[in-house]
Amino acid sequence: MSVAAILSAAQAIGGGVPAHLSFRDLRKIYADGVAALDGVSANVGKGEFCVVLGPSGSGKSTLLRVVNGLTDLTSGTMTLSDTALSPKTLRGIRRRVAMVHQQFNLVERASVASNVLAGAVAEVPSWRALLGWYPDHLRDRACEVIARVGLDEIHLPRRAAALSGGQQQRVGIARALLLRPEVILADEPVASLDPAISREVLGLLREAAREQGATVLCSLHQTDLAREFADRIIGMRKGRVVFDGAPHLFDAAAEGRLYEGLTAPVGQSAYQEKAYA
Amino acid sequence: MRDAELAIGVHHPRPVKDWLLAAPYDWRAALAVLLIALALIWSGNRMEVGKMLGLTGEAVLSAVGVQESSQVGRGLGRMLGALFPFAIEDRQELARLPELDRNALPMFTRIESAEVTTFRMNPDTLKAEPQVAVKEYLVHPFGYLIKVLGKMVETFEIAIWATIISVILSIPLAILGARNYAPNRFAYSASRGVVSFLRAMPELIIAMFLVLGFGFGAIAGYLALGLHGAGFLGKFYAEDIEAADRKPQEALTALGAGKLRVLRAAVLPQVAPSYVAYTLYILDRNVRMAAVIGLVGAGGIGQELKGRYDTFEYGHVGTILLVIFLTVFVLDQISARLRARLIG
Repeated sequence: MSVAAILSAAQAIGGGVPAHLSFRDLRKIYADGVAALDGVSANVGKGEFCVVLGPSGSGKSTLLRVVNGLTDLTSGTMTLSDTALSPKTLRGIRRRVAMVHQQFNLVERASVASNVLAGAVAEVPSWRALLGWYPDHLRDRACEVIARVGLDEIHLPRRAAALSGGQQQRVGIARALLLRPEVILADEPVASLDPAISREVLGLLREAAREQGATVLCSLHQTDLAREFADRIIGMRKGRVVFDGAPHLFDAAAEGRLYEGLTAPVGQSAYQEKAYA
Repeated sequence: MRDAELAIGVHHPRPVKDWLLAAPYDWRAALAVLLIALALIWSGNRMEVGKMLGLTGEAVLSAVGVQESSQVGRGLGRMLGALFPFAIEDRQELARLPELDRNALPMFTRIESAEVTTFRMNPDTLKAEPQVAVKEYLVHPFGYLIKVLGKMVETFEIAIWATIISVILSIPLAILGARNYAPNRFAYSASRGVVSFLRAMPELIIAMFLVLGFGFGAIAGYLALGLHGAGFLGKFYAEDIEAADRKPQEALTALGAGKLRVLRAAVLPQVAPSYVAYTLYILDRNVRMAAVIGLVGAGGIGQELKGRYDTFEYGHVGTILLVIFLTVFVLDQISARLRARLIG
């Protein structure tokens, strides 16, 4: 067990927050031999806003994707509350875990309302899913979450493609909130947005999750945003956890461990980084 | 940091004037054009393209009066001349309508009489002699047009049912035949095989077989068109499913939705506009083909067309062709509007 893992376990116990997600020695080796996760162990407490921070290729996306089984583990165990992820429990876990995506992953031609309601497509009876006819309580709930993310009634019939990037990610968050998930995985949720909008969207995600008591696992590559929004930072480098602790402990030395030797600019927002790429 | 690297020359970029920008065409393109040209020359000889151009040219010249006459012009002219005037009215010999009450004719009809000359053998002279008889006809001034329109409605019904059958058959074929939704390779290959087979069989041939099974009439017609259309729609629906944006599909998979639900909620909204376009095209095609397919006895206006053509009633043929053209034209206008509204 790595030092970081012990640290995190100690923090989870010491802070009195029961572990909600627990990772035990996760390994993921892709077909081309790249080890995206190389022995990751960590606990995430209930209701925490936990940022997984690291440069491109550090394995943070893979870590998020093993939680809901979008990526298969090579070895190790992922546990949600008391349920270990396995092919048998996969569907059940997916229904308790929502995801927010870097590219928003909306159906661009479909309306805001139907994009949000699609978040419940796994929950309704087959004939309702087939007809796209969701029950009233879900329709009411959809309006509620759309309002919660700061959109208006006029946005309901609009096509997702007609919205700005920030608005599209709000729709993505509304879809994730629809069924009151226990856990929200946010995979680089603001990487396609400019810095000002990024702050708004991250703030919204954090507040909305807190209201519902949802645990958030959010990957980011911008250290400034991580410091500002995280309750807890898990720093990753080449598939390993190199930092795990509160944001105020994430100092220059810790940042160095994440980024040293990389030519990518450190601590910049995605917007600026894109200009270099 | 990148800027610094560039400045100290880690990158060694070449001077702009030495940059290589690939030419838009290369020797392979030239070779391909040459080979295609040779193939077309070879095939053009077999297909008598030269003769076609010569005869067409003559016909055009004679039509504008530069040349006396041409073979093609004479042939087509005779045929086209026979189409006019279109037969609009319907006439029936009164002698064959014994129950008709002369004082209470059906609406819009009138009785006309005409002198008919027939040649009869005179038993005394043993010569054929002309005999003039007066025959009376019950004439309905729009009778034939109404009959053709009725047949056209039947043809349209055949096309509608054929389209419904195509859509219903092609949905499972498309899902099984989309690489990313097929449950296994066998189902994928089987579905693609069925779709290719249905498309490869000409509907006229399918209709001929089905007429043997289902008898003359509309059933054979719409089944034949429906099967052929399923081959077309199955292929195009499947290819659209494969090409649909994967991101929303992943989003719904991550929420625990199974394949069919992902198809419904993430793929269908993406492919709906092109599905509507393909389906309207198939409907349009079915209307045109339903007219042809009647030739083998599979119901609709084609059966009437073949009957009149075989008895040299070209005026009636003209009316039928006109009605088919007008139907296709109107349908095209309607489907263009429908598509614009749905795709918008």
